Amino acid sequence: MATRYDAIVVGGGHNGLVAAAYLAKGRRKVLVVERADRVGGILANVELAEGFTAPGVAHTVGRLRRSVIADLKLEQQGLELLTPEVRVFAPQPDGSGITFWADAAKTADRLRSAFPKAADRYVAFDKRVRALASFLAHVNAATPPDVQTPSIADAITGLKLGKAFKGLGAKAGREATRALPMAVADFIREGVGEEPESDPVAGALAARAVLYTAMGSWAAGSAAVLLNDSAGNDGGIAGQSTFAKGGSGALADALARSATVFGAEIRTGAEVASISTDAGGRATGVVLASGEEISAHAVVTACDPKQTLTRLIDPVVLGPELVWRGGNIRTPGATAKVDLALAGMPKFNGADPDQLQGRIVISLGIDYLEKAADAWKYGRICEDPMLEVTIPTLNDPGLAPDGHHVMSVLFQSAPYDLRDGDWEIEEDRLAEITVKTLERYAPGLGELVVARRVRTPRDLEREVGLTGGHVYHGEPGLDDFFAWRPLLGHARYRFAIPGVFLAGSGAHPGGGVTGGPGANAAREILSDLKRS
Amino acid sequence: MAQTYDAVVVGGGHNGLVAAAYLAKAGKNVVVLERRHVLGGAAVTEEIFPGYRFSVYSYVVSLLRPEIIRELQLPKHGLEILPLDGTITPLDEDYLWRVNDHGKTVREIRRWSKRDAEAYEEYSQLMAQMARFIKPILSAVPPDPGKINLFEWLPLVGLAKEFKDLPRRHQQTFIELMTMSAVDFLDQWFETDPLKATMSASGIIGTFQGPRSPGTAYVLLHHYMGEIDGAFRAWGIPKGGTGGISNAIGSAARALGAEIRTEAPVASIDTKNGRATGVTLENGEQIRADVVLSSVDSHMTFLKLMDPGALDPTFADEVRRYKYRGSSGKVNLALDGLPELACKPGVGEWLRGAVSFSPSVDYMERAYDDAKYGRFSQRPYIDMIFPTLVDPSMAPPGKHIMSCFVQYAPYHLADGQVWDDDMRTAFGENVIDTLEERFPDIRKRIVHKMFITPKDIEDVTGLTEGNIFQGELSLEQLFFNRPVPGWARYETPVKDLWLCGAATHPGGGIMGASGRIAALEVLKANKAGMRNGSKRSKAVA
Repeated sequence: MATRYDAIVVGGGHNGLVAAAYLAKGRRKVLVVERADRVGGILANVELAEGFTAPGVAHTVGRLRRSVIADLKLEQQGLELLTPEVRVFAPQPDGSGITFWADAAKTADRLRSAFPKAADRYVAFDKRVRALASFLAHVNAATPPDVQTPSIADAITGLKLGKAFKGLGAKAGREATRALPMAVADFIREGVGEEPESDPVAGALAARAVLYTAMGSWAAGSAAVLLNDSAGNDGGIAGQSTFAKGGSGALADALARSATVFGAEIRTGAEVASISTDAGGRATGVVLASGEEISAHAVVTACDPKQTLTRLIDPVVLGPELVWRGGNIRTPGATAKVDLALAGMPKFNGADPDQLQGRIVISLGIDYLEKAADAWKYGRICEDPMLEVTIPTLNDPGLAPDGHHVMSVLFQSAPYDLRDGDWEIEEDRLAEITVKTLERYAPGLGELVVARRVRTPRDLEREVGLTGGHVYHGEPGLDDFFAWRPLLGHARYRFAIPGVFLAGSGAHPGGGVTGGPGANAAREILSDLKRS
Repeated sequence: MAQTYDAVVVGGGHNGLVAAAYLAKAGKNVVVLERRHVLGGAAVTEEIFPGYRFSVYSYVVSLLRPEIIRELQLPKHGLEILPLDGTITPLDEDYLWRVNDHGKTVREIRRWSKRDAEAYEEYSQLMAQMARFIKPILSAVPPDPGKINLFEWLPLVGLAKEFKDLPRRHQQTFIELMTMSAVDFLDQWFETDPLKATMSASGIIGTFQGPRSPGTAYVLLHHYMGEIDGAFRAWGIPKGGTGGISNAIGSAARALGAEIRTEAPVASIDTKNGRATGVTLENGEQIRADVVLSSVDSHMTFLKLMDPGALDPTFADEVRRYKYRGSSGKVNLALDGLPELACKPGVGEWLRGAVSFSPSVDYMERAYDDAKYGRFSQRPYIDMIFPTLVDPSMAPPGKHIMSCFVQYAPYHLADGQVWDDDMRTAFGENVIDTLEERFPDIRKRIVHKMFITPKDIEDVTGLTEGNIFQGELSLEQLFFNRPVPGWARYETPVKDLWLCGAATHPGGGIMGASGRIAALEVLKANKAGMRNGSKRSKAVA
C-alpha cells in the first residue's frame, strides 16, 4: 500500500488548494488529487482559440480573503491582482450607460445628471452595505456553532460574533436581522429609492445577488447573497471587479505553487472513485478510478456535498437518513458560460474603453432580473438574459494576440434541465442569444467574433464536476446558510462520517472565490489531527 | 367635556375586540370605537343580497387561539365552529380529494403515487410534531435583537432548550420550514404535481409570494396548528359566518363591561407632550383615555390618524417602508342551486370542503407571475367553499352561496391602470370564467354576484393596500421586526399608545393572538408602573 498521508484533498479547485496549502503549512503530509489535467476547478483557464486564454468560469477574483493571500504568500508565488478603477458599466437600451466606480462619491457625482434621486442616496447606501458586509465577514471567518452540543469554543465564537454584532450598534444590529432575509429587490430599492426612474440603477446593482443562483430579484434571502459577495472585500454596493494577471487560472497556479512550496503533493488526472471506510465506518482514504488505493487519516472533500454524499461515500455506511438529506441538497444550476474571441475591441454605446475594464452588466431593472429567473422556473433558456461580461484583455493584453480581445460572459438563466430541447442543440442558440443581446449595446460585436466556446450547466457538471452545474455547490438560499450549510449537524467541516471533512463551497461561508471554506476547514482539520 | 376611560381601542376588528375584552376582564373601563355599522373589520357577516348572508372578506378559521376561546368563554357567547371536511382539487379529467380522514386521504394519494402515499404518512406526523414545537412562539412577546435584555429573551430560552433537545431531523426540518419555499420543501417528499400545488397554496394565501418563493414553507405549518375542539389541522367556518366570531368576542367583551360603539369613526389619535391622551371622532367628539390601543395597521395608526411630522423621523420612515402589497380579492356569489364539477359530477361530500383551483405548481407560479408584473392573474388560484352546505342559515332554503378567495389581485397595477369599476368587473368576470372551466353550469346558477378587489378591501375595512394580514408576512417583517425593528413589543415610541392588531407579532389570520398579548402587555406595564409609583401608575388605574 502507498504512503499514508495525513490528509488527502479530493478536488484541486481553489478551496481544495487553499485547504491543502494551510494543512501543509501546518506541517501535515498532504496529497491533492484532481480529476482534470490541471488544477483550478472554476478558476482554470481555457484556451478559447490559439493564443486566446479565457477564464473557465469565474472571471473576477476580488473576493479572495485577504488573510489567505497573506498566509499563503500568494504574491510571492506570482499572484498579481489587477484592480481597475471602474467596477461596473451597465449599458442601457437608449444608448446611455451607468458607471459605478470604486469611489462611491465619484459614482454619485456621475449618476446625478440622469438619476438625481439615486445619486443623493448612493453614498449612504454604500456605507450601509459596507457595515453589514463587515459584520458578515466576521461570521464568515467563524466555524458555525454546534447547535446540539455547544462547546466552550462555540461559546467564544458566539461571544466574538456577539461583539461584532454589538459593534454594529443596536440600530444596525436590528437592520442586519432585517436585511439578510430580504429580497434584493426590496433591499436595493430601500437603498437607491423606489421610484421607477431609479430602476435602471437598482437593476444593475441587484444583479450580483442572483448570479449563479436560480433566484430572482424578488426571492427572499437574495439580499444575503449580495451582502456576502461584498463581505471581506472592498466591494461595497457596486461589488468588486478584480482580475488575476494571466487569467483566473493564474490564481489557481499561485495556490498550487504555494501548497507545493509548503510541501503538499498534487496529482492531476487522478479521479477519485470513492472514499474508503473501515468496518467502524471511519474514512481510511480514497480509491481512484484506476483502482489505486491511497490511505490517509483525513479525507478532505472539496467536491460539492451532494456529490460527496451520493457518489463518494458508500450509502450503507452513510445510512438512509444522510443519503436522503444529501439527495435533497438543492443544486439548481442556472448559469452558462460563453467566451468569445474577438478580432478587435468592441465598442459599447455610452462608454470609453476605460469604463469597460470592470464588469459589464446587462440587467435593465428589477423586473428584468426576475424575468430571467422565471425562465429557469419553466425550464427555458432566457431570451432576455442577465449577462455579466468582462473583457479581461483590457487589463491584461497578454491573454490574446495583439489587437485582439477576449470576452467572458456569464449567462442567466440557462437551466440545467431544459423542459423542451436538448443542450447539445440548444447551446448554439444560447451563444446566439448572447451575441444578439450584447449587440443591442455594442453594435457590430457579432462581426468581431472569431471563435466562441459555450459551457452549459451540463458541461459544468461534466467538466468541472459541479452537481447540477451549480457553481456555488449548493443554492445559497436561507435554507443553506451558516450553521446549516450544507446540512444542520454537518456545518463544522467535519462531514457525514468520521474522518471526512468538507472544504468546498458547499460549506460555510459558501461559494465564490473567497478561499473561506478551504481556510476554515483546514483550521478545524489541523485541530482534529493534533488531537488524534 | 370629554368622556374619560382607562383605555380606548381604535377599531372593532377581532383583535381590537379581544384586547378590549381582556382589559375589561382586568377591571378596566374600556371603549371600542368602530368606524362601520358592523363589528369585525375583515371578519364580518353581512346580508349583501336579500336573504343571502356572506362572510364578506375572511371566510375560514382555524387559528383562533384556544386560550382566547377558553378565557373569554366564547362558546357561551354564541361561538360555534362547523368543521369543513377536506379539499378537492379539480383537474381536467380527474381530481385530487383529501379529507380529514387520514386513511382515506392516503388511499386517494396512492391512486396518484405509491411513494407519495407513504411519504404522506411520515410527513403528516412530522408536521404535527413541528406544529406542537412551534406553537408557543405564537404566544410569545418578541425580544429586541438590538438590546441584550435578559427578561425579554427569557421566554425564548425555554424554546431554545427545547430546540436543542429535538432530534436532529426535526431541527433540520424546523430550519427548512422557516427558510424554504413551500415547493422546495414539498419536493423533498412528494412527486404528485396537484398535491404539491394544493399543499403549497396554504403558503401563499394573503401574501405577495409564489409557491416557489423562499419563506413560504412556514405557513404549511399553520394547517397543522389550527385547532378546533383540540383536533389538529381541521379548518372550519363559524356558524353565521366569520362575523359570528366577532359578535361572540364583542358579546364577551360587553359582558365583561367593555363599551362598544359602532359608527364611531376615529379621526385622530390625540397626543400631548409625546403621550397619547385619547382620540377625536370624525364628528368632533373627544374621548380621553389613559392608554390608546390601536388595532388598525401601523400605516393607518401613525400616518393617517396621527401627524407623521410629530413622530421621530426615522421611526416614521420605518413605518413607511413596511410593506403591505395586498394580493388577493374575493368573489361572493349567490346561487339558486349547486353547480357540478365537470371532473366529478353530482352533488356530494366533496363539495362540503374547499374546492382548490391549484392543478399544478406551474399554474400557481403563472398566477404569481401576472401579479409580479402588475396584472391580476389570468388564471388565478381560487380557494372556494359553499358555506351553505355546512351552515344552511346563510341563504334562503334551497339556495346557496359560494365564497371564492382569489389570488392574485395586486393592489398596485402596472401601466397606470387603477382599480375602477371596469377593472373590478374584468377581475370578477375572469374569476367566473375560471370557475366555469371546472363548474360548466356555474353561470346558470348565479343569481347575484359581488366582486371585491384589494382596493375595495382597503376602502371598506381600512386595511392598507387591502392586505388582509395588516402587512406582508415576509421574513423580514415577522417576529421582532413586526411592524418596526425595535418596536415589536406592542409599545410604540408614543407613550401610552399601543398596537394590538395583526401588524404586530404573530400577525394575520383570525387568531386574536395580537390583541390578547398586547392587552396583557398593557396590563403588565400598568402594574409595573404602580409598583414603581411612577406617573404611569395612573395609566390604566
